[in-house]
Amino acid sequence: MSVKPEGFEPLIVAFCCNWCSYAGADLAGTSRMAYPTNVRIIRVPCSSRVNPSFIIRAFQRGADAVLVAGCHPGDCHYHSGNFFTRRRFTVLKQMLEYMGIEPERFQVRWISGSEGAKFASVMNNITAEVKSLGPNRKLRDAR
Amino acid sequence: MMGQSEKLQKIAAEALEQGQVTMVLGWCKKDFWWQAPVAFITDPASAARLVWDPFTVYNPVKYLLDNHHCHEKIGVFVKGCDSRAVNRLLQDRRLEREKVVLFGVPCDGKTDAAKIKAAFPGRKISAVSRVDEKLLVDTDSGTETLPAAGYLLDKCQTCRHPNPVVYDVLAWEKVEPRPGVDDARFVRVAAVEQKELEERYAYWLRQFDRCLRCFACRNVCAACNCRTCIFDQAEPRWIGKASDLADTLNYQIIRAFHVAGRCFECGECERVCPADIPLQELNRKLIKDINEYFGEYEAGLDPNDKPPLGTYRGEDPAGFDES
Amino acid sequence: MKKIAKTKLVELWRQLASETGLYLPIASDGVVNFARWQEGAEVDLEALNTLLPAKKFFFPQTETVLKYSFSDDLVLEDCAGKAGEALCLFGARPCEVASFSMLDRVFLGEPVDEAYRRRRELTTVIALGCNDPDETCFCGSFDIDPGKAPGADVLATDTGDELVLVAQSAKGEELLSLLNGVLEEATSGDENKVKDAQEKAKAKLPPAPPAGGLMEKLDGMFEDSYWDLLYQRCIACGTCTYICPTCHCFDIQEYPTGSRGERIRCWDSCMYADFTQMAGGHNPRPTQKERVRQRFMHKLNYFPRQHGEYACVGCGRCVRKCPVNLDILEVIKDLGGAV
Repeated sequence: MSVKPEGFEPLIVAFCCNWCSYAGADLAGTSRMAYPTNVRIIRVPCSSRVNPSFIIRAFQRGADAVLVAGCHPGDCHYHSGNFFTRRRFTVLKQMLEYMGIEPERFQVRWISGSEGAKFASVMNNITAEVKSLGPNRKLRDAR
Repeated sequence: MMGQSEKLQKIAAEALEQGQVTMVLGWCKKDFWWQAPVAFITDPASAARLVWDPFTVYNPVKYLLDNHHCHEKIGVFVKGCDSRAVNRLLQDRRLEREKVVLFGVPCDGKTDAAKIKAAFPGRKISAVSRVDEKLLVDTDSGTETLPAAGYLLDKCQTCRHPNPVVYDVLAWEKVEPRPGVDDARFVRVAAVEQKELEERYAYWLRQFDRCLRCFACRNVCAACNCRTCIFDQAEPRWIGKASDLADTLNYQIIRAFHVAGRCFECGECERVCPADIPLQELNRKLIKDINEYFGEYEAGLDPNDKPPLGTYRGEDPAGFDES
Repeated sequence: MKKIAKTKLVELWRQLASETGLYLPIASDGVVNFARWQEGAEVDLEALNTLLPAKKFFFPQTETVLKYSFSDDLVLEDCAGKAGEALCLFGARPCEVASFSMLDRVFLGEPVDEAYRRRRELTTVIALGCNDPDETCFCGSFDIDPGKAPGADVLATDTGDELVLVAQSAKGEELLSLLNGVLEEATSGDENKVKDAQEKAKAKLPPAPPAGGLMEKLDGMFEDSYWDLLYQRCIACGTCTYICPTCHCFDIQEYPTGSRGERIRCWDSCMYADFTQMAGGHNPRPTQKERVRQRFMHKLNYFPRQHGEYACVGCGRCVRKCPVNLDILEVIKDLGGAV
C-alpha cells in the first residue's frame, strides 16, 4: 500500500515517438502551454521501439508511472509500427494489472504532432492521477 | 498383442536399421519408478530401452536444437504437446521439417508422481503402470488400483490436443480429448483475476519470492529458443545477476511476455519449476487476453501462421484509452 | 538430555524466538523452506528436505559485501564485517549438517571469509534426525547416519509423541539451558527410544551405492566418452546447483546507481554458459558436456583431492528436482558400482 508523503512529486517516464508525440511536446512548449516538470521524456523513433523491458526497468529504477505515446493508428511514419504497439501494450497492460500494478501506472496514448494541447492535458492528467495514487513501490529495485 | 513400449521400440529400431534416421529421441526408464527421461538412441539394439509409461512427460523436441546439425535426420517420438513444439520450432525457423521424422504418439495424459506418493503415505512404491483408465501401483504391501483420471498431471487435465498435430507415422490410434478441458483451461486465471489489486500483487510477490532463478522454466520451453537469451547477455545486462525480487519479477514478466502468442500450453515450465511457481497462470492469462482482444488463436497448430503479436489488423481494439 | 511433548512445540518455539532469531522448515503454498518463525507459522517437521538448503544462512543467495559512495571523497563501507545475526536453525537434517563442514573447508580455510565466519559463529544448529528416509536418500554412500548429526549443536530425535534433545556442544548446552522452563528432563527410557529410532532410520535407508574409490577412478576419466552421453539430456538450468547443500560457487557483481553503489556476491552455477565466459569471448567450457563434467568432477574428484571428502551428502534434492533426471546418484551408480 502506498503512503502519500506531503508534497509528493511523482517521477513519470514518457516514451515519445519522434514523429508525433515528441513533436506534440514541442508544440505544447512553443505554444507556451504548461505541463508538469514531473514528466521525463525519452525520445524513441517509433512507439513500437519501446521494448516491454524498458517499462519494467523504468519501474525498477524509480518511475512512479510510465507512458508510451505514439502516432494515431494509420499515421505511423513507418507505415505500421504503432499497430504492433497497440497489440503489444494491450497485452502488457492487462498483464501488469493482473500482477497487481495499478492501471494508472502504465498508460498508452496516441498524440500527434499537431496535438500540443492534448500532449499537455495528457501529462497534466497522468501527473494528477499518480500524485493521488502516491509513490510506486511495486517492481522497485531494493538497492 | 504387442505392448505400447514394444510398438515404440519397433518403430525406432526399424527407422534406425533402414537408415531412415541416425538418431531417435524417445523415453527410457531410470532408477526410480517416476522417472522416464528422454533417451538418445543411435543404434537399433538400444531401441529396446524405449518405453511408454505413465511418466513419459518430458518433451524431447527441444533437444533437436542441439542435435539437428550433426545428424542427417532425427526421429522423434511426439505426444500432442511435443508435436506442437515441433510446429513452434518450424514457425520460428529454428528447424527444418525435412530434418526430422515424427513418430506420433497419441497420449491419454501423464501421471503426477507426487499425487501417487500422497495416496500411499509411508509405503514404498516400486512401479506404476497403466492399463486403459486404471493405474496399477506396486507397493511394498501389494498392488493397488487407482483411476488414472484422478492422478493426472495438472497440465494434462487441460490438454486440448492429446493427439499429435503433425506426424509422419502414428504409433497407435488417436484418442479423444478429455471431456471438460475447455472449461478447465482458464479456471486458475479467472481465480487470480477475481482477487483485489493489492491481493494480486501480494500473491505474485509470494510466488516469485520462491524463484531460484534457475531458468529451468525458460530452458525447458520450446518457445524460448533464441540463440542467446536476453537474460544471458552480459552487455547490456537486462536483469541483475543477484537474486533480487524486482529482477525476478522483471525476468518472469518478460519471460511470459516473450512467449505471448507463442506458448502452446504444454505446461512444462510449471512442471519443471523446483519452487512450484504457478507459471501457467501467467502464460494462460496472456493467451486469454489475446483471444479476447484479437480473436481465438492456438499456437503450435500451423507453422505457417503469424503469431498474434507479430501481426495486426487495422481495426484491432485497444486495451487502453485511444481517445 | 531433555525432551518436550510434540504438542508443546509451539511453546518451545515461542521461547526460542524471544531469545534469538528462529528459523525452521515452514510451508508456504505447499513449498517447505527454512523461514523465520512467527506466531501461526505452518511448521513442517515431517518434510525431509527444504527446497533451498540451509547453506543460505551462512552463504546467502545474494549478499552485499561492500557499499561505496563518492561525492568529494570515496567512502567505502565494509559489509562483511557486520554480516549476520544471532539465530537458531531448527530442524536441519543430518545430511544438511554434514554439508556445513564441507562449506567450512572452503570458506574458513585461508583466507577466511569473514562474512561466512560471522554467520556460522552466530548460528546455533538444532538438527533433527530422520525417522523415515525417502527412496531418493543416499547419505549412506557418504557414511552419514540419518539419525545422527555430529556437527550440530543440539540433536533432536522424534520418538513418537516427544522430541528428545541432546546438546552436543557448549553452544548447544547454553541454548538448552535457556529453555529449562519448557523442557523436561529425559530419562534412560527416552535414551533407549532415541537409539531405537536411530537404528530404525538406518535400517530404512535404501541400499546406498558405494562411493569409495570413485575419486581414484575419476582421475583418469576427464577425457572419457562417458561424459559424451551423460550430458545429452541436461537442459542447462541451475536447479541442481542452487538446491545443492554443498555447491558454493559465486559471482561478484557491481550495482552502481548514480554516485553510490554496492558490490554483491551471489550464487552462480557451473551449469550456465556465462559461468566461464571470458571478457574476450572465449569460453573454456564451450558446451554443456564440459559443464556437466565439471560439476561431477568437482564433487567427486577435485574436492576430495583437495579436502579429503566428497562434496556430496546424499540429500537427494537433485534426484527429486532435476527436470530431466540427471543427477549425481546416477553417476555414482554408473562409476562406483550399483548396489
